[in-house]
Amino acid sequence: MIKKLIATAALTTILALPATASPDIGREAPNFTARTADGKMLDLKSLRGKIVVLEWTNHDCPYVKMHYGANNMQSTQKAATGQGVVWLQVISSPQGKQGFLEGPAAIKKNEERNAVPTNVVLDPDGKVGSLYGAQTTPHMYVIDAKGTLVYKGGIDSIPSYRADSLPKAVNYVRETLAAIAANKPVPNPSTRAYGCTIHYGS
Amino acid sequence: MKLFRPATLSFFVALALTTFAVPLQAAEIAKTEHVTARLISDARSVEAGGTITVGLHKIIKPRWHTYWQNSGDAGTPTSIAWTLPAGASAGEILWPAPKRIMIGPVANYGYEDDVTLLTVIKLPETLRAGDSFPIKAVVDWLVCEEICIPEQVTLELTLPVVAKGFSTGISIREIESARAKLPVENAWPFTANAANGKIELAAASSDISRTKIKSAQFFPSDWGVIKHAANQPLVVRDGELSLALDPYEQKVPPTLRGVLVVDEANGTRTTQTAYAVDAPLTGAFTAQNTFAMPQIGMLTALAFALLGGIILNLMPCVFPVLSIKVLSLLNHSRMGYRQRHFHGLAYTAGVLACFGVFAAIVLAVKAGGAELGWGFQFQSPLFVLLLAYLIFAVGLSQSGLIAFGGSLSRLGAYGGNDGYGMSFLAGALAAVVATPCTAPFMGTALGFAVAQPAPVLFAIFLALGLGLALPYLLLCYFPVLLRFLPRPGPWMERLKQALAFPMYATAIWLVWVLAQQAGANAVAAALVGMLLIAFGAWIFTSAGKSWRIANFSLAAVSIVAALAIGVYFVKDAAAPEQTADANARYEAFSPTRLEELRAQNRPVFVNLTAAWCITCLVNERVALERANVISAFEAANIAYLKGDWTHRDPAITQMLAKFGRNGVPLYVFYPAGASAQPVVLPQILTPEIVLREIGQSKTARIEN
Repeated sequence: MIKKLIATAALTTILALPATASPDIGREAPNFTARTADGKMLDLKSLRGKIVVLEWTNHDCPYVKMHYGANNMQSTQKAATGQGVVWLQVISSPQGKQGFLEGPAAIKKNEERNAVPTNVVLDPDGKVGSLYGAQTTPHMYVIDAKGTLVYKGGIDSIPSYRADSLPKAVNYVRETLAAIAANKPVPNPSTRAYGCTIHYGS
Repeated sequence: MKLFRPATLSFFVALALTTFAVPLQAAEIAKTEHVTARLISDARSVEAGGTITVGLHKIIKPRWHTYWQNSGDAGTPTSIAWTLPAGASAGEILWPAPKRIMIGPVANYGYEDDVTLLTVIKLPETLRAGDSFPIKAVVDWLVCEEICIPEQVTLELTLPVVAKGFSTGISIREIESARAKLPVENAWPFTANAANGKIELAAASSDISRTKIKSAQFFPSDWGVIKHAANQPLVVRDGELSLALDPYEQKVPPTLRGVLVVDEANGTRTTQTAYAVDAPLTGAFTAQNTFAMPQIGMLTALAFALLGGIILNLMPCVFPVLSIKVLSLLNHSRMGYRQRHFHGLAYTAGVLACFGVFAAIVLAVKAGGAELGWGFQFQSPLFVLLLAYLIFAVGLSQSGLIAFGGSLSRLGAYGGNDGYGMSFLAGALAAVVATPCTAPFMGTALGFAVAQPAPVLFAIFLALGLGLALPYLLLCYFPVLLRFLPRPGPWMERLKQALAFPMYATAIWLVWVLAQQAGANAVAAALVGMLLIAFGAWIFTSAGKSWRIANFSLAAVSIVAALAIGVYFVKDAAAPEQTADANARYEAFSPTRLEELRAQNRPVFVNLTAAWCITCLVNERVALERANVISAFEAANIAYLKGDWTHRDPAITQMLAKFGRNGVPLYVFYPAGASAQPVVLPQILTPEIVLREIGQSKTARIEN
């Protein structure tokens, strides 16, 4: 009886801690299983041992269009995948909303703009998006080889939909990947994500 | 020969222009698919060295919005690039109060329907009457509904230049209404304080009326200060209001800047006023330590304190004292209800008086700038010594050695009315011996209490005391409950004697605490003191009538000697050197060491404990020193830092405060990675809880 009481009390103490909307840096990245553009199912856990980049995207969002239009996103993808990083685009737009794409259309879209993500995660019900607290497109996350979330935030340091911001901006994804490669702490693990609001389906 | 002097000429030109030039200043309009934009000015004509206000007026398509200076979670603010004649300069955009636009879980700050962004333009001294002053603005905005469209327009406005003293203004409705929505500077004195995981923004002003203020919302000037989508609970009293803001996980700046938008009832209408906020952020939460703490309000804190107090009765510190009281209640079950009630109340009063004194001491010390925590009195070796004596004496009386009237043995007894005094003392004793224990809920409540103003702090301490007194009080008022206990009988005398042994054990433990605080000589002194107390008690009790006075004197002398010896040896004793044990699994806690280890990317487990904290010792025994926990620590290369709060140590007190606590134990796990969020473990540990929290926790926390 007393044991039970104490257990309940201890549990209540744990539950009194607040829930945060987005996952914590330094903690295990939330796992998900989702369909990808090639029609297969992807389990994030199966990628343990590799660095994973998650890129929330909506191809018609002006911010996304700017980063692809200036070849900034593609070159970041190339540099990352060239080092063996797994790059996953995530589309959380529900059907009927801007940015929604079926698998084949998503693949075609990437071919058209020379984008080279490893794969595209289709998340029309927004489950993966809300698991990560993704708010904008783009919204970037980096998971290290141990499965720990090491970066969340913007693609770079200047919130803008105009390409003239790019030369002055610090690309945080490149910075994070370089830090991991050099076995150093990530300099800016949590930054401002900027872009278009993700409209989750209800 | 000139017909007119230049000044006269200027006069006529000015007159001509002000009279006939009105069509010139028709603002150029630009239309996009979603916005109609116009440049307007509060000047009909301008003059050298003057200042004018120019407005960018936007009519936005229904349901679409553009953004404020801090766009919130998404979006980008409108920007204006001015092209002005040489020497003229444009100030920053003056932003009217925004509104919060929620899209699912995302909060954006911006404007719907229509808005006018104001800019002050300074004109150069070189302007000459008769010239024109062209203003060009390239305006970029992002306009969003479900989708976002970046739009750009170029607007131009040309104003005539007239002679100094002849420029004229014009009242334009859009500019006036935008001015009315600008934040009012210095109207209310604001304070911002970070505590208990929240930033409290407060204002005090005689203008604030509880019945008038309907709602208030704070908009930070910068991103990354608060969680934009979080609720901002508002408390309004006459003369003051406060909002609780959720800090953004990372940076809390030294100053809280932004706008507080307040809706007030004015008769049948609601008026909105924006107040500029620029308040230094005080409190325990500064830039480095924005750990999300348990967030509780005052009612929860009171409930936690009450519950914590009730649970304290089960803790090993209090249980023996409570048992003695309950036994005596059984013994006198035929006592009148009125007497019983009075005993219950006296006991409660004793507990509450003690807790009131604790609260007063905490407040006094806090006022002096220092910090005290729960159990602070145990940090004084003298207090530990005197409590050891007292507990030992209570033990002797339980054993039946002391049996004189009005004595300690009657702590548990009922006599006539003077017994109430004893009940009071028993309550006080229960409160004092309770302090080395921390029950669940208590830590959170007390952590909340110390950050609060005096009345709240008192209320929470008294709630804790009431919780402690409640079980006994209930037994006094509802003797029916006593039926659940065995019937009175000779077993009670045996139990009473048996309960002396936990008392002796407590005394031994206190002497052990003393050993750590004051060294071996103090232990010897304490033991000699106990010998003298036992001797004095024996002399007194065994005395025959004839030698009564002599015996009484001898007993008194031995008690006084016990006190004198103890006090003499304990008072100035230095703490024994902490010898570092090379094989120890832990290192001493210091904030610097913690930072070093975290910079090395090592996971760190911090245990803040004290020799007098029974809960701490039990946790170490049953959880932290278990073989499987030790090997898990080693396997994960976890650095173990132990902070000993047996003595006062400001570094540890601050660490406790950082996590909203006011006493030990505190267990915090920092996962690897310099920016990883620390995890606070419960105050009662099991090996399973520890293993789960130290990253052997492979189950992801899924929180939304």
